[in-house]
Amino acid sequence: MSLATLTKDWAATSYGFLDASAKRELRRKMLKAIAVPGCQMPYASREVPMARGWGTGGLQVTLTLVNPNSVVKVIDQGADDGVNAASIRRFISRVSGASETWDTLEATIVQSRHRVPEEIMRENQVLVLQVPNPEPLRGVEPNISIARQMHADADYGKLWLTLYEQIVRKGRIMQGAAYPSMVNGRHVMTPSPIPRWDVPKLNMSKHLTILSAGREKRLYAVPPYTRVEPLVFSDRPYLVEDHAALTCRRSGVSGFFMNELPQDGGGSVFEVSDSNLGIKAIDCADGAPDAIGDTWYRNGEFSA
Amino acid sequence: MLTVAPPDRLESRSNLTFEALMWALSRPGDVRSLPEAGFESILETLVDIECTAFADTPALRARIVASGATLADRIATADHVFVSTIESAEIAEINCGSALYPDDGATLVAAVPHEGQRLRLTGPGINGLIEVRLALPPGFWAMRELLCSYPEGFDCFFVDGASVIGIPRSTKVEVL
Amino acid sequence: MAYVATRGGEKAIEQAERLFRQDLGTIDAARVETIRATMPYLIDRVMGEASLYDEELAALALAQTGGELSEAVLVLRAWRTTQPRLAIARPVQQHELLTQRRISAAFKDIPGGQILGPTLDYSHRVLATDVLEGKPFTAPAVDLADQPAPARQPSLADWQRQQGLVAPSEASNVAPQDIPDLTREPLLFPASRAHRLQSLARAETGGVLALGYAAQRGYGNAHPTVNELRLAEAEVVVRHPRGTEFSAGRVRVSQAEVTSKEKGGYLELGFAATFGWNEVKVIAAATLDLNSAEAPVGSAVHEEFYLYHTESVEASGFCIHFKLPHYVTFQSILDAMRDAKAKKAAAEAAGDVYVAEPEEEPVI
Repeated sequence: MSLATLTKDWAATSYGFLDASAKRELRRKMLKAIAVPGCQMPYASREVPMARGWGTGGLQVTLTLVNPNSVVKVIDQGADDGVNAASIRRFISRVSGASETWDTLEATIVQSRHRVPEEIMRENQVLVLQVPNPEPLRGVEPNISIARQMHADADYGKLWLTLYEQIVRKGRIMQGAAYPSMVNGRHVMTPSPIPRWDVPKLNMSKHLTILSAGREKRLYAVPPYTRVEPLVFSDRPYLVEDHAALTCRRSGVSGFFMNELPQDGGGSVFEVSDSNLGIKAIDCADGAPDAIGDTWYRNGEFSA
Repeated sequence: MLTVAPPDRLESRSNLTFEALMWALSRPGDVRSLPEAGFESILETLVDIECTAFADTPALRARIVASGATLADRIATADHVFVSTIESAEIAEINCGSALYPDDGATLVAAVPHEGQRLRLTGPGINGLIEVRLALPPGFWAMRELLCSYPEGFDCFFVDGASVIGIPRSTKVEVL
Repeated sequence: MAYVATRGGEKAIEQAERLFRQDLGTIDAARVETIRATMPYLIDRVMGEASLYDEELAALALAQTGGELSEAVLVLRAWRTTQPRLAIARPVQQHELLTQRRISAAFKDIPGGQILGPTLDYSHRVLATDVLEGKPFTAPAVDLADQPAPARQPSLADWQRQQGLVAPSEASNVAPQDIPDLTREPLLFPASRAHRLQSLARAETGGVLALGYAAQRGYGNAHPTVNELRLAEAEVVVRHPRGTEFSAGRVRVSQAEVTSKEKGGYLELGFAATFGWNEVKVIAAATLDLNSAEAPVGSAVHEEFYLYHTESVEASGFCIHFKLPHYVTFQSILDAMRDAKAKKAAAEAAGDVYVAEPEEEPVI
């Protein structure tokens, strides 16, 4: 044995940026996350060339999965052309040679911040959700060690109590995005700050979802065909955002999650949040063949 | 500013192997293809200096040492267990993690022909139910049932040539 | 350029980056060398927070980020991610350090002597404005001592242990490869002492100072006395595959031991060490370490609190991430709020009594 066996040939950076040992750690943790759906698995979370809180958790998962044949879609708030989505997508293709796409149906990996696309994802697709705060109990228990014990004990009483208090005080559950949800009947997870509109898309889905928080160093997963149930009381149904009747002013589609744009002089107009769905609808109106795949919502009703 | 070489052979093989393992565990009972037969590619995909691994053959033990991992002399202390023959009594001491850290539960990689005993699987990753055949010693599944007090438990990859079937701890297995 | 326009994507972000870099001008080796040679304490601080000891790379990081410290640390840590771990160095003992400065506030004199070394502690902090008027500032040469101070100094705590003032310590027989490495495994709580000290070693100087100062001012339960403060150079001793040990080079290190009150018949010690010479950081960090044992959960001196919140890359990254659009989550909040208001209005119109509660932020 010599010193040479300890070293490696010089390379400016590894394929996919992360070195082999970082990838192996992520692989081990992803497998455990899949084996225990919704349970947060701690990982070392290496620094990547992006600031923490800007999708570094999702990025580490994507960089581990990616290969030159991958087709990668990255969205932020539903949009492919958001500045940070563009920056992440460009970085991934730069360090992996993977193809880029805006089309949900073409992608093999969809990395997303705060949205699940409106088109139904297939069996061989992976959705990677960027997670700012992986701990659904943070609001009721900021101490991470105590919260971990509560998960171990399946002790979600404080969380239920908070939701109940909201109903008493406000007449409804006030949780906006990141609605706490029970996975496989055992672990409560936060689905990341996706709107309530998107949570049912994770329930018994065909695709695999991996959620990763780089700053907080936790990752967890929702395998295909796994129960994801928002925490609700039996006499108070789960309420998604009241967007079913809204119409996109640019593409004309309706029945999907919308962005509200305040107008001078009061009032609002709406644009579809899944920007590539809007583009497909506009192209279709301009005479191109209809490229929109099956959607989870039809006529504003969840129907998958 | 940043030059990235295309993936080398090791990177490509590990990437493909992980894809097979990830989908195998995501869809228990589905048969996935490894880039090559045997345990080697699985070992190099998952195991390194951070791990403690057990193997029941000298060749694999040498591979574990070469990977930088600590070689376990008992199954109980290993986070990755590679066995060419399943001895239920030995497997019974496998690390199942804790409710606090279920991820400490070990990964079992075993050479098991995809034939023989019919099993019915239900649980996460399975649309309804799926039936598979796996030639495991009698008593293995009863022992697993006893050990896996969910979310504690261990996760299995059953390798037959270049084919792999994954059975995570979340899967309910009925012997038919 | 309007904020919304930056949604325009690739072109906008590229031009925004160009604008930043244009302001910095051309970065060449000479600029990097000037930074390295003239700003050693800044380089030390950046190397410590990046947990990567390379003066040249640290200078380059400062040059290409224009001295934006959190960006410089991030770019170094990201580079570190791509590097393999080749060997594990032998743990450093205090008495082996090539010591340049070593002082104690606990005793007037200590075995080995008080060695002031390089410091501005007793200087008058006056700006040398003459320099701007064309008169270069050259400090008078140092007068050599009759006797050079010994290169190596004993550990004061060892002397205190012999005197029965400090609890005896067991040398831990952990194999080098089994020493926990925070950069390769997640920080879990309660943290191992190795993880706690590693996390403090790479913590953000200002953050450690703020929380350490809070503890010193009275929000902790232990007011520190500097037992020993050291600025030194440590040999990085690694093992050749053939088995021989050799020094791969020297790194500048600082360490502080602080003590407070008696506990169980002994003085308690808090410890911190970091890459580079950064006295304020190690004193503040050692104060936090000292206060940890009895810290109430959720207080600023509880390890979970101070370790999470002094992590430079995580804290700065999360803080600036709030610049990213959040309109989907905001929409979701608005929807719930409007619906609740409508329910309230409907109830009031129907003459029902509505329980009025102050508006609250929904839990996220």
